[in-house]
Amino acid sequence: MNICSVIVHAKPERAAKVQSTIEEIEGAEVHGGADQGKLIVTVENEDDSVMADTITSFTRIEGVINTSMIYHHYEELKAETGAVE
Amino acid sequence: MSMDRRSFIKTNAVAAAAATAGVTIPGVAMAKDGMDKDNIRWDKAACRFCGTGCSVLVGTKEGRVVATQGDPDAPVNKGLNCIKGYFLSKIMYGKDRLTQPLLRKKNGKYDKEGEFTPVSWDEAFDTMAEKWKDALKKDPTHVGMFGSGQWTLWEGYASSKLMKAGFRSNNLDPNARHCMASAVGAFMRGFGIDEPMGCYDDLEHADVFVLWGANMAEMHPILWSRLTDTRLTKKDCEVHVLSTYEHRSFELADNGMVFEPQTDLAIANYIANYIIQNKAYNKEFVDAHCNFKKTPLDIGYGLRPEHPLEKAKTGKGGKLSGITFEEYAKSVEPYTLAHASKLSGVPKKKLERLAKVYADPSKKVSSYWTMGMNQHTRGVWMNGLVYNIHLLMGKISEPGNSPFSLTGQPSACGTAREVGTFAHRLPADLVVKKKPHRDFAEQVWKLPEGTIPAKPGYHAVKQNRMLKDGKLNAYWVMCNNNAQAAANFNEETYPGYRNPANFITVSDPYPTVSAMAADLILPTAMWIEKEGAYGNAERRTQFWRQQVQAPGESKSDMWQLMEFAKRFQIEEVWPAELLAKKPEYAGQSLYQVLYENGQVNAYPVEEVKDSEGNVYDNDESKHFGYYVQKGMFEEYRMFNSADNIIKKGHEMAPFQKYHEARGMRWPVIDGKETLWRFREGYDPHVKKGAGVQFYGKPDGKANIITAPYEPAAESPDKEFDMWLSTGRVLEHWHSGSMTRRVPELYKAVPDAVIYMHPKDAKKRKLRRGKFAKVISRRGEIMARVETKGRNKPPEGLIFVPWFDAGRLINKVTLDATDPLSKETDYKKCAVKVVKA
Repeated sequence: MNICSVIVHAKPERAAKVQSTIEEIEGAEVHGGADQGKLIVTVENEDDSVMADTITSFTRIEGVINTSMIYHHYEELKAETGAVE
Repeated sequence: MSMDRRSFIKTNAVAAAAATAGVTIPGVAMAKDGMDKDNIRWDKAACRFCGTGCSVLVGTKEGRVVATQGDPDAPVNKGLNCIKGYFLSKIMYGKDRLTQPLLRKKNGKYDKEGEFTPVSWDEAFDTMAEKWKDALKKDPTHVGMFGSGQWTLWEGYASSKLMKAGFRSNNLDPNARHCMASAVGAFMRGFGIDEPMGCYDDLEHADVFVLWGANMAEMHPILWSRLTDTRLTKKDCEVHVLSTYEHRSFELADNGMVFEPQTDLAIANYIANYIIQNKAYNKEFVDAHCNFKKTPLDIGYGLRPEHPLEKAKTGKGGKLSGITFEEYAKSVEPYTLAHASKLSGVPKKKLERLAKVYADPSKKVSSYWTMGMNQHTRGVWMNGLVYNIHLLMGKISEPGNSPFSLTGQPSACGTAREVGTFAHRLPADLVVKKKPHRDFAEQVWKLPEGTIPAKPGYHAVKQNRMLKDGKLNAYWVMCNNNAQAAANFNEETYPGYRNPANFITVSDPYPTVSAMAADLILPTAMWIEKEGAYGNAERRTQFWRQQVQAPGESKSDMWQLMEFAKRFQIEEVWPAELLAKKPEYAGQSLYQVLYENGQVNAYPVEEVKDSEGNVYDNDESKHFGYYVQKGMFEEYRMFNSADNIIKKGHEMAPFQKYHEARGMRWPVIDGKETLWRFREGYDPHVKKGAGVQFYGKPDGKANIITAPYEPAAESPDKEFDMWLSTGRVLEHWHSGSMTRRVPELYKAVPDAVIYMHPKDAKKRKLRRGKFAKVISRRGEIMARVETKGRNKPPEGLIFVPWFDAGRLINKVTLDATDPLSKETDYKKCAVKVVKA
């Protein structure tokens, strides 16, 4: 399991376009924040290097000022199927 | 509610990001409470990488780090992390992590030409101690150590004591010499006390930001995000960026300026001249709080004495002499707008716009710089020229008005500077050449008078030269990768390490270039595998607890230093006449004299617990039988916080306070940190009614020091027709020993490339993505050409990052240094680029 969350800081007037660009990227999901110019994005990918490419690609999208990492979780898969209360 | 773990963790990840951004997302609850239920133990730690000093929450499960999060309670990063900090926990789990000592052996015994062979710690230290004893017999100056701004505070402190008091050699210098020695030199000359007067809060208070040779967008991304927030939300806020090539920080720049290397000296003098010509300076401030000085000129380039440039110089050193304001004004008069523009290549309009914001009394200006200004053969001068501008305007030591020297390493300030690991320093800004300072240190350390040698030791660059010349024979490199980091690998570093007269030990978690060039490699516990403390660029001291166990037989630097000290009888390291002054030490080991002195071992082992009752290991305390880190820190506090200290202004709180806080900025007086130094109302050391007092100087005044533009040590000519500038990229940190082992980061930027202007490439028939050779008078490397990357050099300059161990750019660079700070200029030398 390899999941991270990222804040993508975009120029406010370009945030909607940035959101749709990110949504086209495999493993990336935008959860909100476009109206404030701070997109809440998660990236999931078992392949470490794809994950890295995905995150670094955000900064190359036109209108993106900065990408900040917030949370990262990586664990062997064994416990993943268990339920959490 | 029940959900599967994947969605559970994802929800928490989203919650953490939303909370940090201040964005509301329906149906998503706060993160940490949820994670506690997942049997993850969370605790704070200072990030292992740059000098920003972000705090990270580290999530540990079953003895392994499984999650990290930007610490929402941290004043520095407010929940954010950059890409390097984000992958922090993985740096400990690289596949090639060293787990046992490795000694070069042939036919079962040590041989300089032998193969690395696993040995026990005993065999490792026995062999090493024998070599050190041989070297000590010649003279204590034949032993030396190269330390680190990545050492924890107490490891730096323990090494300073071991080398300077134990082995009586001042040949201890940190890798921080390469990154901010020039900044230190300027602080001492200008203010008489080290480190910035302001703090990161200036990032929210300033109206104008000026970057002088700092690519904050890539090197200090968290500070950059705070700056960005201010720029986008504050009316009329401006960002000015100066650099020798265009980089990512230019994207936010309102006034981006690419200047010819070395001409920053002329630009800064032009601004001072503009301020004076327009009578914009703050006369009241200058009269009350500043002295004017000049410094010797034409002082050479810190090369070997036989180098033609050294023979040609006419001046020497940095002894200051007093001048009048009028003389100062006259000294900057030649730096007209036309002259500065012609020298630097920056359009007049842009330079004037920059000068105007400094000269406008209604605008609060914060200036930031890092290696562009420090790695400079006139680095001390250049730092000083920026202080001159701020002092002329009185724009200093108050919110938003802040000249601020950023640092590259997590504890360049805390460890390298504050505890005295430089070849000329002792803890708390004391220096070896002053007798009262040595006396004080000897008294704190309970050592006989005359223990600490008065002569400064070999600085970083000189250490490599002395290794090559066979004058430094037993050498220990800890917590850094200097073989890769030092300039002029071919002519100095490599021959020095491999000189048959020398025995080189490298302590590192990984087989770095330095480790592979050594004779003995010691496997080292890193970061949160031990209890630690760092001091960041804004004077913030931060602690963390040991979170996990180090793999195999790895041991912390602290353990290594203290255990090695056990191998020496005091009679083997001190002359009889010195020992005669403290006969009670006869028959004791160096370890006993230095560390079992009733101070370092004063605190019994205690259970390390956080506020929630979680219990943490402390391997050093367990091994030595007392609370090692606490003892070291409390003894260190005798230098900065006791009643009889020589230099006030570095006060720190008791040990335990730092485990409870998200760091505190010194001076800490009565439990309160200091945000802006030297100004009444913010700094309790300033006398009532004084307003501003630069108390590092006896008369309370700062120095405005004039210094002219002088050319670089080596400039492009007909054959070597381009400038080479080196530096870092976001994804890798320094030499890449740690970050290159994180697969994500390695994939993102696998190899160093040659950033170059498309026209320069075309002229040389080079194509993007194809290999080219970069050749200097000293060596060459091969790398791919990049003409469209994030760094856009002007014509006539290339930029090559130095993280890549496979493409050692320091085979090419020149070891020219600032003669005052001894810091290498990695930003300027002449090269040619040809088809490979």
